[in-house]
Amino acid sequence: MKRRTLLSGAAATLAATPLARPHAQKPVTIRWWYHFDDPKATPDELVAAFQKEHPDIRIEPENIPWGGGGDYDNRLYTSIIAGNGPDTAMVKFNNLARLIEMDAIVPLDKRIDAWSAKSDISADLWRLHTAPDGKRYYMPLQYVVLYLYVRLDLLAKQNLKPPTNFDDFLTAAKALTGGELWGFGMRGGSGGHDSWMPFAFGTGAKPVQGGFVSPQGLAQNRYFIDLYRTHKVCPPSAPTDAFLQIVNNLKSGRVAMTVHHISTANTMAETFGDNITAIPVPRGPNGSGFATFGDGSNAVFSASKNPEAAWTWISWLSTGPNNVLYNKAAGQMTVTTSGAANWTLHPKRFVQATVDSLPIAGVLPNLPQTADFTRVVWPQNTQKALLGQIQPDEMMQAFEKLFFG
Amino acid sequence: MLAPALAAAAVLVLLPVLDTLWLSLHDVILYRPRLRPFVGLSNYMHALSDPVFWESLGNSLLWVIGAVSLQFALGFAAALLLNRSFAWRGVARALVVVPWALPSVIIGLIWTWMLDFNLGVLNNIGVQLGILSHSVPWLAQPSTAMAGVILAVMWQGFPFFAVTLLAGLQAIPGELYEAAAIDGAGAWGKFRHITLPGLAGVIATALLLRMIWVANSLDLILVMTGGGPGTATQTLPLHAFLTAWSGGNYGHGSALAVLLTLLLLGVVVTYVWRSRRE
Repeated sequence: MKRRTLLSGAAATLAATPLARPHAQKPVTIRWWYHFDDPKATPDELVAAFQKEHPDIRIEPENIPWGGGGDYDNRLYTSIIAGNGPDTAMVKFNNLARLIEMDAIVPLDKRIDAWSAKSDISADLWRLHTAPDGKRYYMPLQYVVLYLYVRLDLLAKQNLKPPTNFDDFLTAAKALTGGELWGFGMRGGSGGHDSWMPFAFGTGAKPVQGGFVSPQGLAQNRYFIDLYRTHKVCPPSAPTDAFLQIVNNLKSGRVAMTVHHISTANTMAETFGDNITAIPVPRGPNGSGFATFGDGSNAVFSASKNPEAAWTWISWLSTGPNNVLYNKAAGQMTVTTSGAANWTLHPKRFVQATVDSLPIAGVLPNLPQTADFTRVVWPQNTQKALLGQIQPDEMMQAFEKLFFG
Repeated sequence: MLAPALAAAAVLVLLPVLDTLWLSLHDVILYRPRLRPFVGLSNYMHALSDPVFWESLGNSLLWVIGAVSLQFALGFAAALLLNRSFAWRGVARALVVVPWALPSVIIGLIWTWMLDFNLGVLNNIGVQLGILSHSVPWLAQPSTAMAGVILAVMWQGFPFFAVTLLAGLQAIPGELYEAAAIDGAGAWGKFRHITLPGLAGVIATALLLRMIWVANSLDLILVMTGGGPGTATQTLPLHAFLTAWSGGNYGHGSALAVLLTLLLLGVVVTYVWRSRRE
């Protein structure tokens, strides 16, 4: 008995000595999943800077293959189900509803409201980052808003100005089409839903229940399909053209206008100089309009044993200069107002088009079906409508049915 | 002696098959991990009443017949050529294997760009030679998209037939050809009465194996068209993959996979029966 007491006392004394402290203060490890479009980009500089400020937290970044978004999302879901998910990860709106349904992520409202840098992120961005249940699960990290690229030199030859409404857009697309040049580079392939939404919801229809089959939604979708089928202002390959095709077609002078976002601004400016610009997507009457918001956020997972440390990391990433440094690697726009004011990574006119589009920025319904919509249901039905296999209205009815039954 | 092999087969093959069967009888949605109600044959009924299933099945038949017959024809021609003596034959035999050695994703990307409407080299050559009056959006038209992906898989898969049939050709004794020549047989006669009968067993086995592989493969189509335009190139395994992977509906996806397995069982049984007989 005496011997046991003696041993216990010795252990307690040993634990209290300075030698034991390094073990007691071992930094917590936060596993963070991320993906950058540029495979050469790494977050190493960010991680080093963060760990210098926060020696008690060690970040373990894991670069997860994107695979069009599907690979990343499914790896995330399966890792969560298997109990091996990260503490925090980059996430997109199209999987928000699924992650909420899985109880996989925690609301961040209290932390966000107490966060000193909250006001450096605009009200528009906070609005877009609010889930249907009114809570905020996602921390804004990067964003883009889709805008319209226009070749100013080609428009000038036709004595036309950059189109700001749908009538002018069609007039310009028709005037610019001829020979090996097409007025509009339509994206009917993978990821094309982003550049379709400004057309479908541009005159007042909303991406909510009933919105897809509303008179405005149906009419605008017919307008979109007719650009290809009736007016033939898009390359014949448009039904399957995806990111690389629309960008290369614009760069090679095969199309005069296309919808994309700031991540391609530098390459366009290098190719065409001042002959290319970006403007917000065309608007409908009475100022209605819809610019697709492309999000990139971080979420903290319910299974994390260190949610506070995870929050410290993601809030640090979304703070002024850190977020600018992050977006240098990501190639997208900073979510901070202070960072945007001195933004030098893209030419000013493209930044302006992005910022000017924010008030009309919107997203798809945050429902579990959204991921399936973007990857399968939208391209299949849109391609069928473009090829005349179904009517444009049937396409919208299929979308309404998928989302709202 | 057989126990380790049987145990490995049970763990690697039987368990996943049983698990797929079990999943196919439940409503398994990836993002609803706590809910897995038993639904009996409902997933199968749903699959069989879906027009997309039948369209995918039709596409699968076209894909398998088109791909395997073209691979076989090109592979057989290559094998006959490589069986002859000519300078650099060793190099030619090595080069013919290159498409077989390349990953499907790389082959898919190569052919996607070769067939591209705007920048594709095949359109460019066709227009330059006057074969085409203008560029053709091969992968964006339902009438040509399947031909485009079959062209790519033909290039990927012909080396399998070339190498297999070349091995078979080299096993045919040269004396048979000498005797036939003495009897006055011409090139066609030798091919018909010696080469074809001598290769019959190899051809049958290679065709059966390749049919199973091509029927199951989806990577090339996924990369080149994603099953589009619309559903013009969506085969049954791709339909199952998209249902499970993109839709998160593992119950329905498993039912589709089981149906595909049942359809392929006829080919598998023929192959096993032939193997046992040999």
